[in-house]
Amino acid sequence: MNRKSMRTLLVLSAIAMAMIVSPAVVSYPTGIQGVKDSGCNCHGATTSSEVVPSIIGLPDQYNYSESYEIVVSFVGGPASPANSNQGGFNLWVSDGELSPSDATVQSYNPNEVSHTEAGNDQTSWTLTWTSPSSDRNVEFILHTNSVNGNADGANGGSSGDMWNKLTAKVSPPVLVLEEADPFVVLSTLIVVSAILLAFTLAYVFYRTNPESFTWDYFAPWIAGWLTTTDHKKVGTLYFVAGLFFLGVGGIMAMMIRIQLAVPGNDFLTQDQYNQFFTLHGTTMIFLAAMPLINGFANWMVPLQIGAPDLALPRLNAMSFWLQPVGALLIFTGVFSGQGADTGWTGYAPYVVSETAHMGTTMWVAGQIMLVASSTLTGINFLTTIAVMRAPGMGWLQMPLFTWSILVANLMLFLSIPAFGIGLIQVYLDRVIGTAFYDVSAGGDPLLWSHLFWYFGHPEVYVVIVPAFGVISEVIATSARRSIFGYRSMVYAMAGIGVVSFIVYGHHMFTSGMSPTLRFVTMLTTMLVAVPTGIKIFNWLKTMHGGSLVYRTHTLWTLGFLVTFTLGGISGMFFPSIAMDLHLHESYFVVAHFHYVLVGGTVFGFYAAIYYWFPKMSGRMLDEKLGVLHFLVGFISYNALFWPMHRLGVWGMARRHHTYFVTTEEAMGALPIEAAGWNMFISVSAFIFFFSNLIMVANMIKTLIRGEKAPPDPWGGWSFEWMTASPPPTPSFDPHNLPVLTDANEHIANEPGTFSKLFNRLMVSEEDTEEVTH
Amino acid sequence: MISFFVSVFTFTWLYHHSFWYRSEDADGYENPDEIAVGVFPKHNDDMRLEVAWTIAPFILIVWLTYVSWVPLDAVWSETGEDGYHGEECEDGQSSNNQLDDYGIVTSECYHVIEITAKQWVWAFDCLDLATEICDTGSDNIEVYGTVPLLSLKTGETYLANMRSEDVTHAPWFLGMGVKEDTLYGAQIGPSEYNWPTTVWLPISNVVDDQIILCTEYCGDAHSVMAGKLVVHQ
Repeated sequence: MNRKSMRTLLVLSAIAMAMIVSPAVVSYPTGIQGVKDSGCNCHGATTSSEVVPSIIGLPDQYNYSESYEIVVSFVGGPASPANSNQGGFNLWVSDGELSPSDATVQSYNPNEVSHTEAGNDQTSWTLTWTSPSSDRNVEFILHTNSVNGNADGANGGSSGDMWNKLTAKVSPPVLVLEEADPFVVLSTLIVVSAILLAFTLAYVFYRTNPESFTWDYFAPWIAGWLTTTDHKKVGTLYFVAGLFFLGVGGIMAMMIRIQLAVPGNDFLTQDQYNQFFTLHGTTMIFLAAMPLINGFANWMVPLQIGAPDLALPRLNAMSFWLQPVGALLIFTGVFSGQGADTGWTGYAPYVVSETAHMGTTMWVAGQIMLVASSTLTGINFLTTIAVMRAPGMGWLQMPLFTWSILVANLMLFLSIPAFGIGLIQVYLDRVIGTAFYDVSAGGDPLLWSHLFWYFGHPEVYVVIVPAFGVISEVIATSARRSIFGYRSMVYAMAGIGVVSFIVYGHHMFTSGMSPTLRFVTMLTTMLVAVPTGIKIFNWLKTMHGGSLVYRTHTLWTLGFLVTFTLGGISGMFFPSIAMDLHLHESYFVVAHFHYVLVGGTVFGFYAAIYYWFPKMSGRMLDEKLGVLHFLVGFISYNALFWPMHRLGVWGMARRHHTYFVTTEEAMGALPIEAAGWNMFISVSAFIFFFSNLIMVANMIKTLIRGEKAPPDPWGGWSFEWMTASPPPTPSFDPHNLPVLTDANEHIANEPGTFSKLFNRLMVSEEDTEEVTH
Repeated sequence: MISFFVSVFTFTWLYHHSFWYRSEDADGYENPDEIAVGVFPKHNDDMRLEVAWTIAPFILIVWLTYVSWVPLDAVWSETGEDGYHGEECEDGQSSNNQLDDYGIVTSECYHVIEITAKQWVWAFDCLDLATEICDTGSDNIEVYGTVPLLSLKTGETYLANMRSEDVTHAPWFLGMGVKEDTLYGAQIGPSEYNWPTTVWLPISNVVDDQIILCTEYCGDAHSVMAGKLVVHQ
């Protein structure tokens, strides 16, 4: 490694260390978690070993639900019977219940007690601890103050006082493992994933030239990736980032499922659960699904339309690099225990209220960066598809995946600015005290709902429409047929794009909107089923008369047809408002959108991975591992999400950190069978999560020693199958672009009305020549 | 039922074609659409079929919208003669709830109550209603602790005016399958916000004691923001 690279590395390391260390320095000792975590600073800012706290009366091992009288006390420090006051204490316990034994002690909550005014003039206090009814490792944290009793006003009478801390642990009757803090688990898993990613990176670098490997070329090699504008490399960056965050979102989902496995569970506190489901939603939509779409779009759109690269390559790189920075901001709050806890919808006025976590501000800031990224991406793809199609390729001769990216980006480009405006308003409300959503100052919380869902509903289609494109490509290629009803497929996608903007009101059926609007929205929402139905029937008809060769991507496509159809049908229950009123915010909704977004979008991605991975890497994926991935994934996926429909009908509410079932002893919200189904769902969730590692293992195995891929392994027709696997850079020679011919007899290359209109907006070749001369 | 038939139709088609047209390696396949790299393949379409499966779902949807219309009217019924629950009851007057031909509860008149939400507790107010019509109190549910209680009478219909004192909440009357948001600003905001949202609570013979949950996310203790509806004769 040369000196310049070493210097850069050292500077970056120093900045990273500073970022890690500085928050700890600033937050000590006052912190943000209160006395229990950061100590008592009301009587001196730091601890003193002169004060020795103690707890007497605690057993080494407790009996279930037994009351223990304990005495907390201290010796040392300036306390003296001659002082007007001698000291105080604060005791926190992780489990069981603390209660005062006399008037010298007061209870803040079952887990925390402190001295009263009357208890200020003593050095020991008596109280009662009732042990838990189950096996817990119980932790006590005691802070005691030894005070000199002065009253010097400015310092609150605290000068010369001292305090110290004591922790104690009590074991349960049956020993259990120590519980880890879920945030620590999440952070650890993210760090482990990042380290694995770093190792993978190093290994990929090693594989570039294993015979004469040297670290000297690492810096330029990594710089090449960090500064690349090549659509294929940017696509790979999107792809890796998307898979990484798919894993992070999946880890959060698993922690949510651990929490919900049994009724009344407390693996996650309410506070933690609220942050986990918020970040799970935000991560999966914005940091996993969107980057994966952009990864495929970056890779395939220029290849499919015969373009050397995207129209605006530098803008493309900028769009990508906004994403990891936005992701860092979104997760910033988590690492301080104050992650956003608003739900991915971030409804006002809660999102601007004081009760929402501080991390919400950074969560909003991160999403503003993602909005900028998506807007730039939209501009880039619309421009590229409009002006860089190969000679001979009319609008209605584009591959359907390219059409899907065009429709998705058009929808995104028209909808996401509204979301951006809403986010900026929330950010300003939270940071500088504007009042866009403050009702008492004339703000309007429902404005947020409108801005969010004006974007949020089309966003659902933004992530599903590209999957439609993938399925269209895969099913036609697998069946050795041209897609049935190419033109109606295009019109159906465009129809979905238009209708998606006029249905968002169904997310607000319970918000007090006008009954007339409710009726209109009911009708428009149901209308979405028409273009969607056209697509499903066209896919099915494509197989008719074909020769269906089963590959892994074919299996995922057929799986998609099953799950997406079920998700579509369950979606038809919501526009029927009388049903929506019961199902709204229930697990029926969770089941529906996971059937659409996982069974639709993610299954579509999996089909795309198995379909295009040979083109992207030059290696054929292992079919046996692929089939194993499909079988385990498809079965566990349905076992995971199908029973949620039943839970929703029973009355299990989403965004509730736990649930209670009705037993002979107590009334709960759900029948007792719900407990068994939740356990079944959690087990299935873990199987589904781990099934995806089969695909990751398949990719790694293939990259190391996979069979070499030919240019067109599946028999597709579009331009990406014309290039080598992997394609060269630039993907096509700009001076020798491919020309699309048409097997149909009509003259397809004559520009249509839309093309003529568009061409009038473009700079003509004569004008270009004039400028050149 | 419609969902079942649509599913059976679609999946029968899918499974039939998946197996009927299956091929090991497609060798010897005649390639009717002339698929080749760099060539836009021959169109594979049938206008009559495509129009058929555009129109058929559309007709189905229009019909579904029509049958969903009646319950829509009932859920947010107007007050007065055009609605399902008449005018507000006079002192001592009963709603005399009846089921109509569609299974919808109709009433001669209704009683007004109030529901106020704040983080993270419900407050019920029977206003001036007699205690045999409406009563409030609290109850201890083992898992939720002490929760506010609303006691309503079988055969009576209630219109609950709702508001929030902080953020948005939504009471879900689990056993009745209804919920509606409570919005902040009903009292302190500008005039256009001086409308509390409302929810109809028609208490028929089939309505039983039930839990009330919050179903609009409202922060830390959202999941245990519970209440209890008790139905008395």
